[in-house]
This record gives sequence, structure tokens and C-alpha cells, in this order.
Amino acid sequence: MSENILVIGGGPAGLNAAVMLSELGVNVALVERDSFLGGNPKKFKYKFLFPDMQPADNVIGELIKKAESGGNIKVYYSSEVSDFKENGKKFDAVIKSASGSETKTFDSVIVATGFEHFDPARDAKYSYQLFDDVIDIKDLERMMGENNFVRPSNGKPPKKVAFILCVGSRDRHVGNQYCSRVCCTVSVKQAIEMREHFPDCEAYIFYMDIRTYGFFEDLYWKAMEEHDVQIVKGRIAEITSGPDNTVVCKGEDTLLRGPFEIPFDMVVLASGMEGGPQSPEISSKLGIELDEHGFLKPENVTLSPFKSNKPGVFLAGACTGPKAISDSITEGAAAAMNAYTYAVKNR
Amino acid sequence: MALEKHDKDKENSGGGRPVAEKGEHIVARHLIEDDNIKEEKNLVIDGVDVSGRWNTFIISRVDSDFDRSFFEEIKKTVAGSRINRCWQCGMCTASCTVTPLYRRFNPRAFIYMMQLGNLKELKKYIDVAWRCVGCYKCSQRCPKQVNPAEMMEALALVIKKYFPEEVKTKLKLDEEVKKIYEDMIIGHGRLDLAKLHTSAMQKSGRTKELLGKIERDTIFKMAKDGRAFSILRLGKPHNWSRSKEAIENYLRKLNTIENGEAGV
Repeated sequence: MSENILVIGGGPAGLNAAVMLSELGVNVALVERDSFLGGNPKKFKYKFLFPDMQPADNVIGELIKKAESGGNIKVYYSSEVSDFKENGKKFDAVIKSASGSETKTFDSVIVATGFEHFDPARDAKYSYQLFDDVIDIKDLERMMGENNFVRPSNGKPPKKVAFILCVGSRDRHVGNQYCSRVCCTVSVKQAIEMREHFPDCEAYIFYMDIRTYGFFEDLYWKAMEEHDVQIVKGRIAEITSGPDNTVVCKGEDTLLRGPFEIPFDMVVLASGMEGGPQSPEISSKLGIELDEHGFLKPENVTLSPFKSNKPGVFLAGACTGPKAISDSITEGAAAAMNAYTYAVKNR
Repeated sequence: MALEKHDKDKENSGGGRPVAEKGEHIVARHLIEDDNIKEEKNLVIDGVDVSGRWNTFIISRVDSDFDRSFFEEIKKTVAGSRINRCWQCGMCTASCTVTPLYRRFNPRAFIYMMQLGNLKELKKYIDVAWRCVGCYKCSQRCPKQVNPAEMMEALALVIKKYFPEEVKTKLKLDEEVKKIYEDMIIGHGRLDLAKLHTSAMQKSGRTKELLGKIERDTIFKMAKDGRAFSILRLGKPHNWSRSKEAIENYLRKLNTIENGEAGV
């Protein structure tokens, strides 16, 4: 008899976990809340991934293909875990989908519920949703994915674009004190893409710190050295409307010690990551701990970042904190290994 | 080496080399402060006349230490207790109401100078450092909740303590603003923030924004929840005539003292 393992969430982490378990001969139930697999990268149509600019489809599409063709994976689309109980060392879960509810017993569980993009409208000073030409990185990613890079207000290509970093991150005022890790690199990547495809369009990045950690630093150098992306030190305090249908960024150049109010055709907000409503929900449903940032809490951040405080329930991907896609995929594999070991031990 | 200073002006009173201004020949003179230039007008070394530009010396502008005791002092005050939180992002200056009017008023830079105890630098801003109008936009937006608005209060107190002489001589009162405040207090017994805001906007020529969406919404909101009318109903404070008299007495007395000191 082969093991039964429940994977909650069909993003990069959950997909990789499911695929690996399936290859081990495990029966996997993959529960996905959307009607498609691929998580946020698919939902917001990410086009190219940093650091090597490979098409997102190479990664996400590949994982989806494997998951959908793998014989041992049963995917439940538009579904959720509506009830969850411990049963000795095993778990009884009710999977609710459009076609009805199904109760099954699982040997172990992998939670990969991911993150939500911070909604910049919550920070009113950036006038997101007030001005059409203020968008955020996920909107830009979608625009690029759809080959439709124009100003939303008039449909014309922009000539001057500002990127604002740390929107919804590192800010007590909005309640998120952590760094979202990837927004710097994503912004730099998008600036490069933009300059590559639209060389007439100037790119400015307003930053407090540029955190393109590790080898992502290469992208940051490339943006400046090969694409003339200009960086300006200072956080933007206000976005207002300007003359000739522009949006004005009001800020301080902290290096030159002076205030500025500069009009741009388009502003891209590097909104960060949040645990979203799904994290507290899954935390109470499964009886696992939530951390002070609104993400799921690992048992030990360094030694076992993929374990929850409940034996048999494992964590993978951005549900435990902001993460790059590659990290999520790695954690998916790590959680799969651990979930498998647990299942075999308690057979 | 014989070092000899003598009164050359007297000797050469009949003509000779014209005497240049101190540091006049330095090319980028505007970058160097007066106090940092050492130059003897008349100097003879070993019988060689090295007066004026021949002995010019510029004192190093390299700071040799951070004065942490100053930081500790600020941190102990109520208004400045969060000074250790600031990471210099510039959100405060970017939000500031005053900075567009007085470019040298820069809360972020002031907080940094206070963190490092750089009194030498702070001293240069005595004339503008008091300009905070207390709109609290910075404190509302600060990502680290430093509360820069109150930090400016701490700054003002520090300046008053360390540079009492400069405060007296360099600090120029904005008579117009003073008049607005005084008239409001003595006339009505209260500060009318709406009126203050209006006069400030008019003063900076931003009359168009007075009819902007935020203003309209605020007026509508205050009319709706009754605050606008409750202010009218409040009237003057209790026993205002006596308080008013006391304030006027105090101001008169203050004026007499100031005039007396100035020898008027």
C-alpha cells in the first residue's frame, strides 16, 4: 500500500512537492483554490524570471505539465480543505470542491499556501487606484506578459517611468516591518526589460536600500551599466497629479539634501509580499502556529524551516515568509522529503 | 627660524602691495568657511616676507569623532526618545510642509546631525531649525515611527541650550506668522487650525490647492460630523478677558525687557 500525502496549494512549492512525491510512488492529493495550477506566477502572468531572464513558462509551465500528467497526483481545482482532524499519527481531511466533499485519511501534509501581493491602495500616499498611471510590479508583470506596455490612462507608451521600492515593506506605518526580499530584484529586472524593449523610455528607481542579495547583484549592476537605469536615494512620500496628464513623485534626494517634485508618465510600485488571509485561516484550521508578521511559523527557522510546530505537517514556499521562486521550489522538495519520511515511519 | 609679525599697514602706509582680503585667492573660496581659513595678514619668516596669501592655511574639514553623549542627551528627552530608530530614508523631509518654502529646513538631515552629535553642522541651521509648523505629516508617514515632528521640538530645545547667543542674533521671527498666531490667540483665545492652514497656503501661493479634493472632503467631513459647528459654538475660553489681560501683560513685559537689553 502506498502512502497518501496531502499538498495544500498549487504554486511553485506545492507543485514541486507534489511532483517529487509522485515520482516516489506516493498518492498525492493536490488542493488548489483557483481553477488553474501555478499560483501567483500564473495568476499574474509573470513573463521572465530573474536572475537569468528565462521565460516563466520554462519553470512554472514545466511543473504544471508534470503535475497534470503524473499518474499519482489527483488535483482538486477550486477547492479547499474544509475540515481537518488528527487521527493518531495520521490526518483526516475533508476536501471541498464544486463537485462535493470528499473525506480522506493522509499520512502527512504539506502546506504551501503561498503569499498575497501587498495591496498598495492600503497606503494612501501612493495614490494607487486613484491615478491610472500608478501601477505596481504585478500589474507591470502582467502588462509585459500580455505585450501591452502602455500608459493605462491614454494607451500611449510612457517616456519616463519611476520605480518606487519598499511599498508595503519595511514600514511600521502600514504594519509590515519585514523586507519582502524579491521586490528590489524584480524592479531592477523589470527596468532592464523595459529599457531593452523600449529604449526611449527613461527608468528611475527610488530606493532606500537596494537589496539584490547574492548573485542578484549582477542584475543591479547590469541595469546601471548596460541600460542606464538611474537610481535616486530617497523614499517617495506622496504621489499627486501633475501637468500634461503626469503623475508627480514628491520626495527627498537624501544624498543631495533637497526636496523634489518630479513628474513621470508612469509610476511602478514595488509592492511587497504578505501572508494574506489564507495564512491565519490555514493556521487555525490545521492548528499550526502563525508568526508576528502574518506568515506561518516554522518549528526552527534555521534547522527545520520546512517543519511546522505540528509533527506531520510540513511547510514549503512563501507561506513561511517572502521568498524567490527558486527558494520555493527548493523548499517544496525539502518538505516532500520530510513528509515522505514521516509517512513511511508511521505506516 | 625667526618668526616675525609686524604691523605692515603702518610701514607701508605710503603705498606698496595692496593687501588682499583673507583667502581671496582661493579658487573655490565659496566652499570654505571663513573660520577654516588661517591667514596672517603680515608675517615675516627668517627675514622673508610671507604676508597674506603666502601663508594661507586651510584647517582640515575632516571630522575626527562622533559625539555620542549628545545622542544620549536627546534620547533622554520625551520628544527625542525615538532618535535611535531613524534610518535616514527621507520620508519626513519628503512629506514636509515647510521644506518647499525653506529648502534648508530638512528634518532628516537634522535628525542625522543629532544622532552623530554634529553640533558644528547644526549650528549652520539655527535660523531655519525652528520652522516646523507641527502638521505631523512626517510622523504619520514615517516608516519607523520616529515621530520627526516632535524630534524637531527636541532640536529647538537643544539649539536654545547650546547656542543661546546665536538664537538671539540669528533667529529672525517671521513677523507675518507671528502676527497671525498672536491675533488668533489674543483675539479668539484659541488657535484656529483651519485659518492657520489657509494663511499658510495663501502665503506660499498655493491658493488653488485650497479648493482641492482633500480640502473639500475635510470641510464636508467636518460639517457632517459637526466639528465645524462645535468650534463656532465653543466661543472663547472661560474667563477669557482675564487670561487675555495676563498674556498681554506678559508680552508687554517681555517687550520691555528685550528693548531694555537692546538698549532701546
